[in-house]
Amino acid sequence: MNLAYLAHLLRANRARIVVVAVALIIWGSLLPIVYDAFGEQFKDLFDSGLIPRQMMQFGGGDIFSLTGSVALGFIHPFAVALNLVFAVGFAGAAIAGERQRGTLEVMLARPISRRRVYATAAIAASLFVATTVAALTLGALVGAAITGRVDELGAGNLPVLWLNAVLLYGAFAAVALAASVSFDRLTPALGLTLAFVLVSYFFDALGSLWPDAQFLQDYSLFHYLDARADLTGLPVARDFGILAAVIVVAIAYALIVFPRRDLAAPS
Amino acid sequence: MPVIETRGLTKRYGRDAEPALTDLDLVVEPGEIFGFLGPNGAGKSTTIRLLLGFLHPTSGSATVLGQDIGSGSVEIRRRTGYLPGGIAFWDGLTGERLLDELAAMSGRPPIRRADLADRLEMPAATLRRTVRDYSRGMRQKLGIIQALQHDPELAILDEPSEGLDPLMQRAFYEILEELRAAGRTIFFSSHVLSEVERICDRVAIVRHGRLVALEDIASLLARRKRNVELRFDGAPPVLERLLGVSEVRVSGDRLTCRLEGDVAPFLRAIADTHVRDLTIEPARLEDAFLEYYADDLDAVPA
Repeated sequence: MNLAYLAHLLRANRARIVVVAVALIIWGSLLPIVYDAFGEQFKDLFDSGLIPRQMMQFGGGDIFSLTGSVALGFIHPFAVALNLVFAVGFAGAAIAGERQRGTLEVMLARPISRRRVYATAAIAASLFVATTVAALTLGALVGAAITGRVDELGAGNLPVLWLNAVLLYGAFAAVALAASVSFDRLTPALGLTLAFVLVSYFFDALGSLWPDAQFLQDYSLFHYLDARADLTGLPVARDFGILAAVIVVAIAYALIVFPRRDLAAPS
Repeated sequence: MPVIETRGLTKRYGRDAEPALTDLDLVVEPGEIFGFLGPNGAGKSTTIRLLLGFLHPTSGSATVLGQDIGSGSVEIRRRTGYLPGGIAFWDGLTGERLLDELAAMSGRPPIRRADLADRLEMPAATLRRTVRDYSRGMRQKLGIIQALQHDPELAILDEPSEGLDPLMQRAFYEILEELRAAGRTIFFSSHVLSEVERICDRVAIVRHGRLVALEDIASLLARRKRNVELRFDGAPPVLERLLGVSEVRVSGDRLTCRLEGDVAPFLRAIADTHVRDLTIEPARLEDAFLEYYADDLDAVPA
């Protein structure tokens, strides 16, 4: 890792990380409040059978229990999009974006190996992902505190949920960085990663809503974020292991490919 | 020990592609300003990027400052300053912050920055502005400062005077000459022949990825043909069989020819002629350059 480069990355993204973190805190606090206000009504609606069970349990979340509402907050497209600002936006641009702008050349003119550049970008991405997920987790705690339901939430399990979500978005960040070291242009690096995320999300959503397509969930990284299980103190070790394995494979790929690539003059 | 030494350095982008660089053998000695000439696409930037480890050679080898370009790339860049062609920066930073960050990444103090900024007319007020607001010339000056601010043993400069006005070019040449006097080595690529002619000790000329000439400026110019125009009274001098003289044409009282090498035999040959006026154009690197390209056009496979 190169400390000067890490400081540069942190400084360059400080305003963005503050905005995203604040938005995630607000979002994270909203769903417990919504649950507190409308949870009983939603439960009555669910019990009436008017709405199919699958529609009310999207992505392992629901709106008629506190843990379910927090889980829904974690898997909701809004939270996913905000977390992906850094997991995909930053990580995907970390190398390919610098390369496209021509600034990678200036940096690699310093005595920094490509592996070190990659490691520094990976550490920065990890810090950003850890921060955005912490903001979302903190938001859930704030929402529970506002509604006086901290005990019901099981706040002691929040670090486990945080770790599970960090591994999920860390896996996306690792894939984005692997794509980033593979291309000279930002568009294919971001496009490939976003396609991977969207397909993953689609598989999870489809498997969640349609029992016949449930097998697809195994091929979605989102399936391995089980917020409800984490919050009830029953985290699934296999979920953590699979997400960690994806991260390790993506890092290994990048560490092999990036130093061997030819970096021709930017056109 | 040479500062740069390449042996059969070859680079091919893709298995079936034409080589961008073929069998380059080059030696750059310490303390010289070495010009690397060629038009766009001749292989100049490919050579520089190979030397700095951005590209991996297809075959051949090279050392820079005694380090192999493959295994010693980081150490090479620790002791080298590099100005890329068409340099790009993080535009949101001020010039000063950018130079600070690049110096921190280099791990060496920017001991020459103040002097360079002063010489290139980049005052503190300018360096406090964001790079986004810089003109092309200011960006180039910033590029030169970042390449030289840590006083590297070797400076590799790709088209360094692009965007500089004539005054700044002069200041830049003076900086290079001072670096040479301090024992530093400068390797720079250019297609501005006048600047190469002015400051370089030796030049290499590349064409289609092949080295077609490698010699010092003085001998290159000495072998160039100069244009001669002579106005006379009476009979014209007989020059047709004189060594070094060619393309003799007489029209009335005017004689033109091309003169190569020592001028003394020519002067002796016209000693008995009543000369009214004599003009010998100085040899120019541009002519040499064009001549090399013309000469090698057929010899080098396309």
